[in-house]
Amino acid sequence: MVLDRKIAFIDLSKRSVRIEKIPVELRRKFLGGRGLNMYLLSRYYTRELEPFSPENPLIFGAGLLSGTLGFGSRLNISSKSPESGHIGDTNMGGEFAAELVKAGFSHLVITGRSERPVYLLIKDGAVKIRAALHLRGADTVETQKRIRSELGDEKTRVACIGLAGENLVRFSAVRTGMKNAAGRTGMGAVMGSKGLKAVAVRGTMDITVSDPQKYLSYYHTILKQMLETKWAQALGKHGTPLLFHLCNAMGFLSVRNNQVTTVGERGSGLEAEALERYSTGMLSCFGCPVHCRQRYAITEGKYKGTRGEGPEYGSIGSLGPKLGNLDPEDIIYACELCNYYGLDTMSMGSYLAWAMELYQRGAIGPVLTGIPLDWGNGASIIEMIHRIAQRKGFGHILAEGRLAYKVFGEASLDYLMEIKHFPIEMTDERLPKSFALGMATASRGACHMRSRASIDVLGLPEQVLEKLYGGPVSNRFSSYEGKGRMVWWHEVLNAVCDSLGFCRFLSVFSSPRGLGYEQFAEFVALATGMSLTPEELKSVGERVCSLERSMLVKDGISRRDDTLPRRYFEEPVPEGPCKGELIARDQFDTMLDEYYHLHGWDEHGMPEPRTLKQLGIDT
Amino acid sequence: MKVKVNEEKCSGCHLCEMVCSLFHLGKLNIEKSAIRVESDDLNSSLNTPVVCRQCRKMKCIEKEEVDEATEKNSFLWDKGRVKACPFKALFAFEDTAYHCDLCGGDPQCTKVCTPGAITVVS
Ligand code: SF4
Ligand code: SF4
Repeated sequence: MVLDRKIAFIDLSKRSVRIEKIPVELRRKFLGGRGLNMYLLSRYYTRELEPFSPENPLIFGAGLLSGTLGFGSRLNISSKSPESGHIGDTNMGGEFAAELVKAGFSHLVITGRSERPVYLLIKDGAVKIRAALHLRGADTVETQKRIRSELGDEKTRVACIGLAGENLVRFSAVRTGMKNAAGRTGMGAVMGSKGLKAVAVRGTMDITVSDPQKYLSYYHTILKQMLETKWAQALGKHGTPLLFHLCNAMGFLSVRNNQVTTVGERGSGLEAEALERYSTGMLSCFGCPVHCRQRYAITEGKYKGTRGEGPEYGSIGSLGPKLGNLDPEDIIYACELCNYYGLDTMSMGSYLAWAMELYQRGAIGPVLTGIPLDWGNGASIIEMIHRIAQRKGFGHILAEGRLAYKVFGEASLDYLMEIKHFPIEMTDERLPKSFALGMATASRGACHMRSRASIDVLGLPEQVLEKLYGGPVSNRFSSYEGKGRMVWWHEVLNAVCDSLGFCRFLSVFSSPRGLGYEQFAEFVALATGMSLTPEELKSVGERVCSLERSMLVKDGISRRDDTLPRRYFEEPVPEGPCKGELIARDQFDTMLDEYYHLHGWDEHGMPEPRTLKQLGIDT
Repeated sequence: MKVKVNEEKCSGCHLCEMVCSLFHLGKLNIEKSAIRVESDDLNSSLNTPVVCRQCRKMKCIEKEEVDEATEKNSFLWDKGRVKACPFKALFAFEDTAYHCDLCGGDPQCTKVCTPGAITVVS
């Protein structure tokens, strides 16, 4: 039974494990995945909580429906972030979440610190702590292989950190498989601070369902609908790189640290069609029919013999045009290195872009950086990845992420494209106003995935949008009208999707025909026997958003932090198809007001007491 | 009739294994499926679905005095037969082997295989 899955509380200092049931009431309020993670995190969260302290919990949470017949099997990892100092939360695909639930667990709450490196072994209802001294320094793929071989079980799934996490590089990822990364907000560094090298899971337990026939037939109906959408078809053929063309052609790409927003024709080598020459097939996460992930091989040139999975659009942008780099092979190799070291490709791109702009402006020079940091220098990009992971030379400074400003000087922060102390990824949001607001309000700091309200790019009739969002929304990408509503709506939906463990790509994310609350409710009932109405599910999303906001409020975050880098307000896009675009402060404020109002937050962005009461949030 | 495999196309989604166990046993457990996806996920990233070939001469039961037609149509087999399959296409979990009975003539796994790695052939 899905609802029988447990939470394990693991204290690495005391080497103790406590296993608890999850009350159904908690499931109804938070489902699982991100929702339940946030509930658990909120029990520990204070302003004073130090990200690298033993008290900071590292929480693994499989979605309520991960491992069931549905649309993906995702996992969230949450903690207080050592990168931003605020909420840390990241979502990962692959096979790990499904294996965790087959082993009878839904969530792991890991506290404490082990003096010597350890890994957790979780197998069919039991948790053991094992020595990992021999795995110290091993890369993320080697670590998985060695654990499998010492356990003599090739089916064990491992989530682990690489050298970067061990070295407490603040933007380290947790990794599983060849490419899956719980990348954002430095969860790998928290893991490193606990002396935890890996979590290995193996599960063979049944998930019983009450009406298998009905479940199968409903699945077939929805599968058919899903596969008929152009979005699922395109995603299954090209993967996320298909988004690169749109982003570059319309002009919302971060180029040279957002100094420019398109590379025009010069970017053609990074489009999905061009990358197909490296592809050797498409892969899926556990339980996903869409298979959006490329497998690739480089068969000639300086990176001959490199093979793996990806790269995804976010990594292409972050390690490519953002750094003035348009060489697909440099990008693929840079991604691969990040994967092996266990580094977040996006933050890597953001901090390097920051350093490169400072270098361009002469604010830092070769004496400090050790190697030239000119735009598009592939060799330097690769070398910096090594140095950061190994904390060598200038890499030791950049490994601190934004805190490198202590070396560069306070004024340098003006060139770091960040929100709530967390860097913007591969895009520039001066054109798409819904993206701009979504970035400014995302609960984990700048984040393109918390809402990513992008349906307005499809140019659908406004009546369609009004029906979907329950109020007027402009179908122009560059308009501010109704975009507060759009961002609110998608934030709530994504919070539900992340709590279920379904993939957001298959929800009403980029296609209005994707999965929504009706389908979610049906799947929850069929897989778990728990009946929740679409409205109740929507309030789970509201609850998760307001709870996250309450944690940010504890950190002192308010309206003034829901903003964008100065560049977005003051420097119009200098060239390209959206030349002249920028964010108008007054219209931005109007969007923000609309967004707060819909969430039930006051004009300072604080959840109203009645909102908290209504949602049953006890801060 | 049999389930034909084109392994090049397999994405490794495990949906075939999930529906096989759900259809026969009313529960989800990919260990209890007649089709298995062997994955080389940390090296080549290749996935290989393996399933009973529906051999005309069933080597797996040739030493037993059983009715072939009945065995062909049964899903739960004795674990002992795993060793007798020359193609290593029969899998067991604990004491039971799970044998492809073609779902009584309407193979379920092929219906969820979106890349077309497994298809029904007569
Ligand atoms: S045809 Fe039926 S029994 Fe055979 S592997 Fe597919 S789902 Fe299982
Ligand atoms: S359903 Fe098809 S693609 Fe998915 S694992 Fe099975 S054979 Fe491979």
